[in-house]
Amino acid sequence: MSKFQPIEFYKNKKNEYSLLPFRFEPLSEVNYAVTNLVGEHLIIPRETLEDFVKHKLDSSSPHYINLRAKHFLVDDKTQIAKELLSIKLKTKYRVLSEFTGLHIFVVSLRCEHSCPYCQVSRQSDDKIKFDMSTDIADKSIDLALRSPSKNIKIEFQGGEPLLNFPLIKYIVNAAKSKQKEKNLSFVIATNLALITEEILLFCKQHGILISTSLDGPKDIHNLNRPRPGGNSYEKAVEGIQMVRAHLGIDAVSALMTTTKNSLGRVKEIIDEYLKFSFTGIFLRPLSPYGFALKTKTYSAYDANKWHDFYLEGLEYIIDLNKTGVKFREYYTSTILTKIFTSQEPGYVDLMSPSGIGIGAIVYNYDGLVYASDESRMLAEMGDTSFELGNVLTNSYEDIFLNPKLLDPIEESFAFSVPMCNDCAFETYCGADPVFHHAIYKDFVGRKPESEFCNRNMKIFKYLIERMDSEPYIKRLFMSWAQSNA
Amino acid sequence: MEANLIFDANIYSIDAIKKACYRNINRFAVNISKEEDTINCNITFKNTVTESQIKIYLDDFMKEVLDQDLRESIKKETEGVRNLILAHTFSKTGLIKDE
Repeated sequence: MSKFQPIEFYKNKKNEYSLLPFRFEPLSEVNYAVTNLVGEHLIIPRETLEDFVKHKLDSSSPHYINLRAKHFLVDDKTQIAKELLSIKLKTKYRVLSEFTGLHIFVVSLRCEHSCPYCQVSRQSDDKIKFDMSTDIADKSIDLALRSPSKNIKIEFQGGEPLLNFPLIKYIVNAAKSKQKEKNLSFVIATNLALITEEILLFCKQHGILISTSLDGPKDIHNLNRPRPGGNSYEKAVEGIQMVRAHLGIDAVSALMTTTKNSLGRVKEIIDEYLKFSFTGIFLRPLSPYGFALKTKTYSAYDANKWHDFYLEGLEYIIDLNKTGVKFREYYTSTILTKIFTSQEPGYVDLMSPSGIGIGAIVYNYDGLVYASDESRMLAEMGDTSFELGNVLTNSYEDIFLNPKLLDPIEESFAFSVPMCNDCAFETYCGADPVFHHAIYKDFVGRKPESEFCNRNMKIFKYLIERMDSEPYIKRLFMSWAQSNA
Repeated sequence: MEANLIFDANIYSIDAIKKACYRNINRFAVNISKEEDTINCNITFKNTVTESQIKIYLDDFMKEVLDQDLRESIKKETEGVRNLILAHTFSKTGLIKDE
């Protein structure tokens, strides 16, 4: 008896197979991307797709074998696919039952910077008016610790949160004293202009991480971020070095904001990140909220210009990797994690059901609770559509069962949104009701006209085609997916 | 600028046509009507759209109708197994209750 089955064994002589649920989108005149419920993908010609759906695909063709291997069909050789899909899907949605993991505390709205695109800040010395009180902090901590999530991350934001550092100390100590079985972690999102040895000693003692802003070379950063003395860049760089000296090289991460000043200079911006030994960059689009919209900086460039900026940056990063420099683009990594793994990276904008409230929540300095950071930015512009309550007067149930949270989550769930429900990239994408409400005044928007949809659709198609074009890129992208998981 | 396209109602469903129209909502407006064996699409373009763009848009629209027809076939065949997989996925979450 032979050790292996003969090749005939693997042939499905009658071409009898059943389709498993899948969706498709055209990539070009010839090729189509097909994806299944858990995000497995293939590229096949339109002709093959039609043959496949009409049960005319030969079981010995390479396309058939790939479609079977990736759980797009079941035949008499494979019946386990349904169970495997269930398990992978269960893993993907596991994050839903964990509920809110990220709790943002806006400890002060005051800031010594006056960035034109900044969503929320006040140049003021009025601590009473713009700083969070200990009463509000206590109530917010209680709400945060009511979350079913075992892992609770508290992120301090502003304004500039270091302007109210005594309250940060108070919250860290108070949360730790009440944490019981929860795992707590803390992050301060700061421009680092006010960082001191004393603050860093406290951070070291409590394992607090730092998230800062670095918009690129000195001229771009200082143009984006005016402050008295015009030295925001110098302060940030000095601060990054101080944090690393006290807390270690990985204790500080940086975020960049794209403005019209950044366009055409993506390589210089990436070089700046390399200069300071960061291992990746998040090429963020400018958000359409707050002063960014009011001061017209949002309309200063359109989605296509950002797309060119992003692609030029991504290709530059790929080239860097080819020369042995390990560096990633984080938005791409988040998408790749969704493409290649059953893990949900938890990036609020790319979650469906939307991550507002259930992925992250904001406790504002004045006690008001918002469904996301972007929601409080909208509120600063007078739109309180996502204001969920007040920590001083509302219960956990009032806040998390507020129709202002549940309605947008339900309405924007991509599984049931026109066009999203049959889009091949739905499993990679998100709902983002706050963005659509801000721009189109409804939680869903018309997807063919949605900047969010167009931007992401172009990226998904580009990444899938790019991987198909070069084995090296596929290996690289798979490594980015794993390290982000 | 206007154009008319006629589809055979024995081959294409109204839903497939409607979905194809929706996907092109950023390019033109459509009035759909049905007679016995035909589905008529009266398409209106903005004045700024050129003749060559109209040709591309109509070609794309017809391809999209074919794609939507294919999507209907997939959905019809896989609906049962899709629901089964989803039921298994959420079976232990307590989120699905017996009616």
